[in-house]
Amino acid sequence: MSENKYPEIQAGEVLLKVEELSQHFGPLKAVDKVSFEVKKGEVFGLVGESGCGKTTTGRTIIRLYNPTGGNVYFKGQRIGAGTLGYKEAMSNAKKTADEKIAELEADSAANPQNQAENSIAIQNISDELKKEIAELKMEMAKAKRENKKVDRDLVTQIQMIFQDPVASLNPRMTVREIISEGMVVKGIKDKEYIDEQVYDVLDKVGLVREHAGRYPHEFSGGQKQRIGIARSVVMRPEMIIADEPVSALDVSVQAQVINLLNDLREELGLTILFIAHDLSVVKYFSDRIGVMYFGKMVELADADELFRHPMHPYTRSLLSAIPLPDPNYEKTRRRITYEPLRDHDYSVEQPSFREVLPGHFVLCSDSEEEKYRRESSEG
Amino acid sequence: MANNILEVKNLKISFRTNSGTVKAVRNISFNLEKGETLAIVGESGSGKSVTSKAILGILAGNSIVESGEILYDGRDLLKISEEDMCKIRGDKISMIFQDPLSSLDPIVKIGKQITEAMLLKNKTNRKRARNEFNSTLKCLKEAMIDASDKSQASVAYISEMIKTFDDFNILAIRLENKYNAARAYAEELKAQLEHFLYMSEKKQKLDVKRDLGEYIQTLKKIKNEFLTVDHDEKLAECVAILEKCRKEYRVQPDEQGKLATYILSDELREVLATLSGTYLVEILERPAPNFFRIGYYVYKNPGVTIDKSDINALNEMTVKYLDEDFMIRFIEKETEAIRCSAEKSLQIKKKVLEDLAKAKEYFLTTENLEKKATGEVVENLCKTVAASIDRLEYNKDNIAYTFTSSLSSAANKYFIYEKLNPKEEKRYARQNARREKLIARGKKIDWKVVPKNVNDLEDLREACVSVITRLENKYNADIENFDKRDFDKIAVGLIDYLKARASEVVYTITKRMAKEKAIKLMEEVGIPEPRTRYNQYPFEFSGGMRQRIVIAIALVANPDILICDEPTTALDVTIQSQILELINKIKKERQLSIIFITHDLGVVANMADKIGVMYAGKIVEYGTSEDVFYSPAHPYTWALLSSMPDLDTNEKLEAIPGTPPNMIYPPVGDAFAERNKYALKIDFEMQPPVFKISDTHSASTWLLHPDAPKVEMPKIIRERIARMNSKGGNEDV
Repeated sequence: MSENKYPEIQAGEVLLKVEELSQHFGPLKAVDKVSFEVKKGEVFGLVGESGCGKTTTGRTIIRLYNPTGGNVYFKGQRIGAGTLGYKEAMSNAKKTADEKIAELEADSAANPQNQAENSIAIQNISDELKKEIAELKMEMAKAKRENKKVDRDLVTQIQMIFQDPVASLNPRMTVREIISEGMVVKGIKDKEYIDEQVYDVLDKVGLVREHAGRYPHEFSGGQKQRIGIARSVVMRPEMIIADEPVSALDVSVQAQVINLLNDLREELGLTILFIAHDLSVVKYFSDRIGVMYFGKMVELADADELFRHPMHPYTRSLLSAIPLPDPNYEKTRRRITYEPLRDHDYSVEQPSFREVLPGHFVLCSDSEEEKYRRESSEG
Repeated sequence: MANNILEVKNLKISFRTNSGTVKAVRNISFNLEKGETLAIVGESGSGKSVTSKAILGILAGNSIVESGEILYDGRDLLKISEEDMCKIRGDKISMIFQDPLSSLDPIVKIGKQITEAMLLKNKTNRKRARNEFNSTLKCLKEAMIDASDKSQASVAYISEMIKTFDDFNILAIRLENKYNAARAYAEELKAQLEHFLYMSEKKQKLDVKRDLGEYIQTLKKIKNEFLTVDHDEKLAECVAILEKCRKEYRVQPDEQGKLATYILSDELREVLATLSGTYLVEILERPAPNFFRIGYYVYKNPGVTIDKSDINALNEMTVKYLDEDFMIRFIEKETEAIRCSAEKSLQIKKKVLEDLAKAKEYFLTTENLEKKATGEVVENLCKTVAASIDRLEYNKDNIAYTFTSSLSSAANKYFIYEKLNPKEEKRYARQNARREKLIARGKKIDWKVVPKNVNDLEDLREACVSVITRLENKYNADIENFDKRDFDKIAVGLIDYLKARASEVVYTITKRMAKEKAIKLMEEVGIPEPRTRYNQYPFEFSGGMRQRIVIAIALVANPDILICDEPTTALDVTIQSQILELINKIKKERQLSIIFITHDLGVVANMADKIGVMYAGKIVEYGTSEDVFYSPAHPYTWALLSSMPDLDTNEKLEAIPGTPPNMIYPPVGDAFAERNKYALKIDFEMQPPVFKISDTHSASTWLLHPDAPKVEMPKIIRERIARMNSKGGNEDV
């Protein structure tokens, strides 16, 4: 197996690094330059309303889509790369070079005595540009190449749990076939070994041996989700991407599944990227949380810190919308609305994703950064 | 009692399936008061949706309503015909479903979907209102004659009075309807003009000729004697100018020399601006005339021209006229009649009570009930009860009205099962014997014997008695409270009731009016730019907007009761809280009663006045939202509360182990016992009765029995409640 090929990652070190990841579907920027790191052994929560690109982020990491731009590193190895960044860099380089050349030409038109000097400078600039573009093209080709021949063994160390337990299980396969499919694809033919693994993992997720021979329709919603979890855990992954694993379940069953994921995480030392829109659950389950809005990451911080001092107005509006089982609080709860055009003035300064407090990142402009700092020191 | 708009009593529903009957709802009862929200909370499969579907009469084909009543407006919704149900469904009781996309037709425009019901219901509503108006008036007339000395003169006097009331009411409403139509046109025109001017200012493309033609047509329709009396000349001037402009309009080149359609002449712009900015505003700001009074004045003085320039003065003048000329003596007679009718019905009620006692005796003591004899007893009893009903009560007495159907169906059921029980016993014995035999032969058997569908005859007899007892109690209460009645108030209420019916009779709605109404409704539910949105298809809307459309459709018919079946489960947090706020707002504005079904307790906290927690077809805990959230009593409620994390939860969640029981073989004892770590021994043997904790709070668990060991609720909830109390400054719990 692949464990020896790559360095072992210790708890607390960066396991997954997402760098300026973009995923565009035509003109739609589903994910737009999202960057974050997931450390080994932690649960990283990703929240936002539907359509904000959190699921697309998860799917791009596991390469269900080819990323449009940016890089994904797993265990220090690049497992996904897009070309958008290179293309942008190229067009930027061309643009700056063109500007410089235009300046020089204007200069030589005004002062004919400088003409010779300027033409040499122009030659230099265009040579440099050519060199730069050639380099970028090479890197782009390299990224494309790497994209094509990603180490399968490495990628199988990331597994996914899907939202809808009914739709994600093939109704014509028995539980045994569903769970063992990954191993079979990987080329393991030893039937006894496979059975052993299947029974082992069924036991781990709270099902029994006898369930292996049954079909998905014979199970309740919670049990189906357990099968989905078993399928992902059986490949001994380092990391699990859980895409809304509890949204389709009843409240009482939700708690069962969350507890199961928590136990598995401790037992197997799993790292989990937890995607959900239910903030109470995310808060309960995650160590760090990233908030997404329309394809952009707007805030990222420790779970407690985020809920105690939300900085970005969108996070605040999201937090104010959580219903709680407390009638008196609910009667006085006021929802804050978020309107990007009203809450931000980005006509002068462009926002960027920056660390406002240690470990607390916000998408903001300079003046906003100052404002957030001031507010947090006061509060 | 008086405020209950919907009463569900001892409802039992099961579903016939291949493997046996699934008992989905087992004996639940609740009341819904006017303007209140009742939340029903539970896991999937607990029977909450089945209950709501039973109220709406849309249960699946394999369902059996075993017993129970759903009382609404003097009728039992479980026993009326499909035709009658059609009139209530969607009109009086409306429903919002979980998935907004599947409850909208994908190929019909939003506007049509909203107005469809309005236009369809309008015709039937008019017919029904006419019937109700006539029958009530007829009853009133009879009661008046009864109350008078019955001489020919007074009979003639009363007949004339009733006829006057009838005629002038209809006349008044006709005037009002015309006025409303003109007003709707004025509102529409104002919005259109503003849009037109805005578009021309923004240099957008316009079809000026066509639009102006439309405006001229609408302007002519606005003309109404009560609405535009001061403005008739000005409007006529406007029409003349518009017509001239329309004739002269030519497309002109703009600054860049291109031909542009948005350029208006100064004259045209000015007239449109004054029209939308001044005249229409003035027209719409005029006080509304009181047509009930004016109608009478016009009726009495046909041909007299009335001064309509000052509406307030007109209102005052006519109210005086109406009171002096008619209303005072009418109300006098009416109050008399109502008192008389109520007293009469009281006398009969006293007599009926004796009959009821006798019938009760009959059901309790007769050894073998015979079908024929019992039928006679029931029939006689129903007749006397029907006579005892005071027909002038516009708030219908549910129990008395449904007595006939309840009693006869209860008696019928007894005789059906008397026949059926032995057969069922035999079948069960036969199948069981076969199974035993096969087992004895050492075969493996994977089927179970379908359980007996046997009803205890004593229980059925008891059901008949309870129907009678219920009416007895009700009548006793009526007799006791008789002195407290305020007849003057009732008399005014009755007139209002008649007025409302009369307005329904002549309330015709055209497509244009329906459109205006729909657009107003869309605005009310928070859809921006309703005029453009009106012509779009459902797929052009986002999830939250779609749910708003569904709410608008549900509100079209002005229902009394709105059933929301998980309306926010498919939506995410921000949209969810918007929709909840919207439902709350509408509830306040329209005095709606809401049944809110959900599995998420967090959602309920802000919405509900009362909460019923359902498990395995039973309501296990019932109380106000404070009761349920701050002092939950049933272990299932504890489990539900402790299995959901809130923002301060750090400890391990207490999940409910296992799954809900198979309702083909419902457990003998408490259905929750198997998953309940606080279960007592008795929980597995006997179903717990309902224990009252306070006036509003009750729960059915053996833990509340005085002999039960004291059990504290889970730590996670105790801490949370303590936290909530300290946060809210609520220290009395």
